[in-house]
Amino acid sequence: MEIVFAGFGGQGVLTSGLIVAEMAIHAGKNVTWMPAYGPSMRGGKAYSVVKFTDGVIGGPDCDEPDVVVAMNGPSLEFAQKLKDGGLLIVNTDAVDEKVDMGGRVKVVEVPCTTLAQGVNNIKAANIVTIGTVIKETGMFDIEDAKTVLKEYFESHGKGKFAAANEAALMAGYDL
Amino acid sequence: MKELWKGNHAIAEAALRAGCKFYAGYPITPQTEVGEYLSGRMPELGRTFIQAENEMSACYMLQGASSTGMRCMTSSSGPGFALKQEAIGYLCSNWLPALFVNVIRWGPGLGSLDSAQSDYFQATRGGSNGDYRLVVLAPASIQETIDLIYESYEIAEKYRNPVEILSEAALGQMMEAVEFPEFKEGPKQEELDWVWNGVGDRHKFNHGTPLYADKPRRVREKIALMEANEQRWENYLVEDADYVIVAYGIPSRTSREAIDKLRAKGVKIGMVRPISLWPFPWKAFDEVKSDVKAFMSVETTDAGQLVEDVALAAKKSGRGAAPVYGLFTGQNFARPSEIVEFVERVMNGEEKEVF
Repeated sequence: MEIVFAGFGGQGVLTSGLIVAEMAIHAGKNVTWMPAYGPSMRGGKAYSVVKFTDGVIGGPDCDEPDVVVAMNGPSLEFAQKLKDGGLLIVNTDAVDEKVDMGGRVKVVEVPCTTLAQGVNNIKAANIVTIGTVIKETGMFDIEDAKTVLKEYFESHGKGKFAAANEAALMAGYDL
Repeated sequence: MKELWKGNHAIAEAALRAGCKFYAGYPITPQTEVGEYLSGRMPELGRTFIQAENEMSACYMLQGASSTGMRCMTSSSGPGFALKQEAIGYLCSNWLPALFVNVIRWGPGLGSLDSAQSDYFQATRGGSNGDYRLVVLAPASIQETIDLIYESYEIAEKYRNPVEILSEAALGQMMEAVEFPEFKEGPKQEELDWVWNGVGDRHKFNHGTPLYADKPRRVREKIALMEANEQRWENYLVEDADYVIVAYGIPSRTSREAIDKLRAKGVKIGMVRPISLWPFPWKAFDEVKSDVKAFMSVETTDAGQLVEDVALAAKKSGRGAAPVYGLFTGQNFARPSEIVEFVERVMNGEEKEVF
């Protein structure tokens, strides 16, 4: 499984990748997380690539993703690399244009910020997308995902946000 | 359970578990997290961390630490690692063990932060003056980075010679699920017969290093011993391969993906993955069919460096008749699809051989 989370710096695309990587470790997979760093980050564009499998992981960077989460318009460039039959999640709160992939991949439109706001956790638009990816792909058990999400924030000294982040995860899951 | 670790942090923690008591270095991207991590972790463990005034000073501090038998380390990248070359020569001249880590950025000069393998020649051919060799080990994953660092002090002490770990920007910045070995200690000072500790006749610098007249023989013997004992590699599907890719580090990972795609199309192709870059594992080529049709070096350099050792190893193993091709991708490691296309061009006679 290869997933790209892409957006502006500050939209949490490195963190969403990290959380998914932790979920994959929890599921007993081999995992690689690769951040975009250096000039592309300073220019405002950011992305992370998560790959996980039972076998050997090849190159760590984006090659032929199964899933692309586009948090803004420029991130749609990754959609061209999607495998046939892949999944494109578009954050409609930051992408104005109607995305037409010609039926090559499944497109799911998610108003990520609006949904995060709906659970009083406006910063968690990135967590919302994780919920949607899990729902659409079935890659992890949602109860396991909740456990890992809670542990992730607790281990980063942000345990008090655990409930709010779980609400954001479920807002994306229960679309 | 395995934990998610960033490559650069793993380098630092692995060195500590391998017994590193002394670190000196100067920050530079994409390697800065090594020193950043150690600056907090080493005081915690009662060990010495020094942010030196520059890279050269850091290495001469290593010379001091190593002279007393301490396991020591420095790390850098790009022009910072270039500055360490003079001191590497001094450490080799004085037969002192030490651990160097280069997280390569694309060069030369200031270069860029992109991931590359452009310091291959610097590591394997030497950037200092004089006739010396470093044992150069190149991991392809974060777990392998940990495992190689964990062994490196024993190698350095066995031959009284520095060891260099050659990492790449991407390998330093990315994260993988890893496990660490237990902490271990280096030999006690009194167990080493060459340290400079001021006791008895141990007040002379260069204790136990070869004398002038005997130096060429001793150097030749040491190099021959390292070449005999320290070749490391991993071969992938080479037994029946008509075509053999040679790649290390990250390009070896995308090459492996390409090989799986080509095998699915019926192409008999495999890979020699050098783990030791010096000594170059020419023994790995003995497992390749003697009538192999071509070797291909896949590397993130501008104009080809590894490819020269591929040609030498092919000749040394009696497979010198096979042409050697190169895919050199500068600051971007080749995607699997690019490698597949390259191999198909080689098979169709559309590529020009390098050797």
